[in-house]
Amino acid sequence: MAFALMGPEASFFRVLDQHRVSLIQSLKEGPGEAPRKEASSSEVLVSIENIIQDIVTSLARNEAPFLTLDNRSNWENIKFEDSVGLQMIPHCSTKKIKSDSAQSAQRFALILKILSMIYKLVQSNTYATKRDIYYTDIQLFGNQSVVDNIINDISCMLKVPRRYLHILSTSKGLIAGNLSYIEEDGTKVNCTCSTAVAVPSNIQGIRNLATDAKFLLIVEKDATFQRLLDDNFCNKLSPCIIITGKGVPDLNTRLLVKKLWDTFHLPIFTLVDADPHGIEIMCIYKYGSLAMSFEAHNLTVPTIRWLGLLPSDIERLNIPKDTLIPLTKRDQMKLDSILKRPYVTCQPFWKKEMEIMAELKMKAEIQALTFISSDYLSRVYLPNKLQFGGWI
Amino acid sequence: MEARAVCEILKYVIIHWKKEAAELSRKALLEGELLVSIEESTPKHRADPSHYVTTIAFAGSACGDLVPKQFLKGIQSLLSGFSGKLTWPSEEAHCAQDLAGLASFQIKIEVDEKPPTLMADCLVIKQFLHRTSIVHPKVRFHFGGEVNGILFKETFGVEKEPVVKLLNGIGLLTSQHHYMRPGFLGAQQVCSRIHPVLGHPVLLSIPDEEANMGLLGQLTLTPAAALCPCHKLHPDQTSRISAAFVFLYGPSGLPLIFPNQEHPLTVFKDNSYLFDWKKYHLRAAPNSNISLEDDLVLPDVSYWIESHERSWPQDSDQQILLLFLMVDFQGGFPAQLTEAWGLQSLLLTHLNSILLENQSLVQGAVQTAVDQALEQHHRRVKAQQKLQASIPVAVSSILSVVAGSTRSSFRALCLQTLQAVDTQEFRRRLHEAFQMTLHQRSMCDPKKQLPEPSSSAEEREEGDESLDEALAGSCCPGEAPRPKRSCQGEGVGRKAQAASWLPLLSLGEAPQRSIGTGPTCSQARGWGGPETRGEDTLWLQEVSNLSEWLRAGPGSRPVP
Repeated sequence: MAFALMGPEASFFRVLDQHRVSLIQSLKEGPGEAPRKEASSSEVLVSIENIIQDIVTSLARNEAPFLTLDNRSNWENIKFEDSVGLQMIPHCSTKKIKSDSAQSAQRFALILKILSMIYKLVQSNTYATKRDIYYTDIQLFGNQSVVDNIINDISCMLKVPRRYLHILSTSKGLIAGNLSYIEEDGTKVNCTCSTAVAVPSNIQGIRNLATDAKFLLIVEKDATFQRLLDDNFCNKLSPCIIITGKGVPDLNTRLLVKKLWDTFHLPIFTLVDADPHGIEIMCIYKYGSLAMSFEAHNLTVPTIRWLGLLPSDIERLNIPKDTLIPLTKRDQMKLDSILKRPYVTCQPFWKKEMEIMAELKMKAEIQALTFISSDYLSRVYLPNKLQFGGWI
Repeated sequence: MEARAVCEILKYVIIHWKKEAAELSRKALLEGELLVSIEESTPKHRADPSHYVTTIAFAGSACGDLVPKQFLKGIQSLLSGFSGKLTWPSEEAHCAQDLAGLASFQIKIEVDEKPPTLMADCLVIKQFLHRTSIVHPKVRFHFGGEVNGILFKETFGVEKEPVVKLLNGIGLLTSQHHYMRPGFLGAQQVCSRIHPVLGHPVLLSIPDEEANMGLLGQLTLTPAAALCPCHKLHPDQTSRISAAFVFLYGPSGLPLIFPNQEHPLTVFKDNSYLFDWKKYHLRAAPNSNISLEDDLVLPDVSYWIESHERSWPQDSDQQILLLFLMVDFQGGFPAQLTEAWGLQSLLLTHLNSILLENQSLVQGAVQTAVDQALEQHHRRVKAQQKLQASIPVAVSSILSVVAGSTRSSFRALCLQTLQAVDTQEFRRRLHEAFQMTLHQRSMCDPKKQLPEPSSSAEEREEGDESLDEALAGSCCPGEAPRPKRSCQGEGVGRKAQAASWLPLLSLGEAPQRSIGTGPTCSQARGWGGPETRGEDTLWLQEVSNLSEWLRAGPGSRPVP
C-alpha cells in the first residue's frame, strides 16, 4: 500500500530500524509465543451446558449448587514472565459462588443470567456489547461494572477469550496514521485521514491490515493525542501510527496494539505523563493488568518501551518548577505499589526513573512541555527522542 | 383483701429499699426477699364472703433502717381508704436479724372477700410480682398460700438467671420464657435469651399544668428494646414480627400501671406514637386481648403487627418486639418515703400529658433503640429477600439454556435428572429444588454458640457465672434455668400447715426446686399442675422451721 511520503529522511529512522531488528532477533531467540486459546462456538456451548448440568444434578441431590471462579484479582494467583507479562498461575485459588448464601445468591443468579445470554449469542452467531447486556435489564444488574466483572469471570471460568463469548466491548480508543484495514463487515478503513479513527469493536474480525509505519506511539491521554493530530505529527514523522486508549485502555485498544505487534513487529513506544498513573497505564499495555491476567497472552506487548515523559526529563529539559505538581498521598501509594510489582525488577531503568520521581516528590504532565514552547512536544521532544533512541 | 392495697404496700417497701440502696450506690441492683402469702383464716366454715389473711414479709440488707412504727404509720396513711385491717406483729419490735445478716419484717392484711374476687386479686398480685421481678432480678418474690382449698406457690427471681444491668440499679431478666412460650417458637433450637438494646435517656419537659399539680423535678425516659426470641442461631430462618409489647416502669423500677387497671395512657392508642412502623414496612393495631391468667409477663400496651409488603411463608418464625420504657426522676428521692410513693401515683395521673408534650423526643429515643434491636432482623429480612429474588433469575436462565439447546441428549438428561416430563414441569421442579435448598440451610445448620453480643448499653451483671457457660440452645452463654415455679394441682387437698410462716432466708437458701422437674409454664396455668410430694414436704418443713425461729425472737437464734 502506498502512503503519502511527507516524513523525515530515511536516516532519521536508523536507530528505530536497528531497534526493530533487535526486537525481531529477540523474538526468534526467545521461548516463542505460547499457544493462543481458541475455542469454537460448539465448545463454548458445551461448556455452558456442562455448567447447567452440574447445577441441575446438585439440585436433584438436594444440594445447593454453586459456581467455582478463579480469584482473578489476587496477586497470589499471578506470576510474571518477562516474555508474557502478568498471567495467572495454573492452579490458582478459587472462590465459591453459592446459591444459598445471601451474600452470593444474587451473583450466582446473575452469572447464570449472563451465561444464558452468551449461550444465545453464540448459538445465533450474533454479537452484543457489554453495554447491550447491561441495558437488557438495568434494574437486575444494577450497574455496568457488575456486568463487566461477571463477563470477565465467565471468560476466565470457561477459559476462553471474551471475543469467543460473542461479547464485544465498546471501544473508546482512537487511532491515526499509516494504517489501513478492512473490518469484518467489509468496511474499508484508512487511518491517514486528518481526523482519527475509532478503534473497531471487533478486532478479531479485522483483515487486510497494511502499514509502512516505522513505529507505533501509544499516547496516554486524548488531549495529547489531539494535540499531536493538530500538529500534523503523523505526517511530519511519517510513516507512523499513533493510538490512544484515553486513559486506562479498553480491551479493544489493547487487542489492536497486540495485533499490530504480532502482525508487523513494530517498535512500540508510550507517551505518558510523568506520574504514577501514567506509569501504571503504560504497564497495562506492556505487561497486562491483574484483572485480565487470565488473557495475558492475547493482550500484552512486553516489547513496549517508555519514550516519555520521563521523570529524568524534568531536570534535563529544565521544565519550570511551577508547572510541576506535588505527588499526593494516593500517588505515593500507587508509586510504592508499582515499585513492588514483579516486573519492575527486570526494568532497572524504569525503576530508576520511578525513584527519581519519588525523590522529587513531584509529577509532571506532558502538557508541561508546552511551557517551553507550544509545539515543543511534536517539533522537538518526540522527534529527538525517536531519532536518537531516547527510550527505555 | 384488695390486690391494690397489697401492691401499694409492696411498692412502698421497694421504694424504701431503693432509697436506702441509693444512698450507698445508685447503680447497685436491689437485693432482698419478699413474700406474699394468702390464707383463708376460717377454712372449715366457708362463710361467703370468706375471711382472708394476707401476710407480706420481706427481708433485705437495707431493712435494718426501717423503723416499724414509722413504716406502719406510712402504710396506714397511704391506705387511708382501705376497708381491711392492717396489723403488725409488734409495733415496738425492731427489725429482726436472721443469720444471713438480713433483716425481716412482716405485715398482715385481713379482709373479707368472695372467693372469685380473691382469685382475681391473686392473679393481679402475681402479675405485679412478676412484672417487678423482671427489673429487680436480685430480689426474690415468693407468692403462695391457699385459696379455696388449693395450695399454690410461685417464686419469681431465680439465682443464676441471666440479667443485664440497665441503669440506676435497674436490671432486666433476659430469659425469653418470661415473655414468650417455648411452644411458640418451632422445633429448632433457639437462643434462650433476649438481647436488650438500651436507648439514650431523654429529658422530658413537664407542662406547666402538671408542674402546678405538684409534679416537680426532672423526668427522664429511657427505652430498651429487644426481639424475642433471638434468632442468631438461625440467621437464615424467615421470621416476622407479629406483636409488640410495651412495658412501662416508673421510679424505683415499679410497674407504672396496675395490672388489670383500665389503661390511663391514651397516647398509646395512637399506633404511631412510639414508633414509625412504616420504616420497617409494618402495620400496627392495638391488641387489648391480654389475659391476666397468662403466666407470662403481661405488657401494659400490646400491638398486633403485620407486614404490609408481602405474605410470609407458613413456616416463618414469629418474633415479638419488646419495648421497656423506664421513667424516672432525675434528682433522686424526695426526703419522705410517703412523698416518694405519692409521686408514683401523681406521675401516672399526668404521664399522658407529659408524653404528649414530648412526643418527638420519646419517639426519637424509642426509634433509635428499636432500630438497633431490629437491625439484625432487618438484615435477615433483606437477606431473605435477596435469596428469594435470585431464584426466579436462576431458574429462568437454566431453563433458557435447556430449552434452547439443540443437543437432545443434554435436554433429556436435565429433564430426567429432575424427573420432569416437559419444560413447564422442569421449571416448577427447579423452583422447588432451589427453595428446598434454602429451607434446608436455614433449618439444619444452626450457628455455633456465639459469645454474648456486646451492646454499648448492656452491662453484664457481675458475678453472673452462668453467663460464662455455653449451653446448648443458647447463642449466648448461659441458658436460663427454669424459674422456680410450681403450682399445686387442684384436688391435692393439702393445706398449708403453718398459717403464719415466713419462708425467708435463714440458713442462706430457700428451698431449691430442681430445674426442669416442675411443670412448664404452659402446663401450670394458675393453680393447676402436679408437683412432687418431696419438694412440698421440704418447703413446708423449712417454713415451719422459720416460723418457730422468728417466734423465738432475736435472743434465741439457733446456731447453724
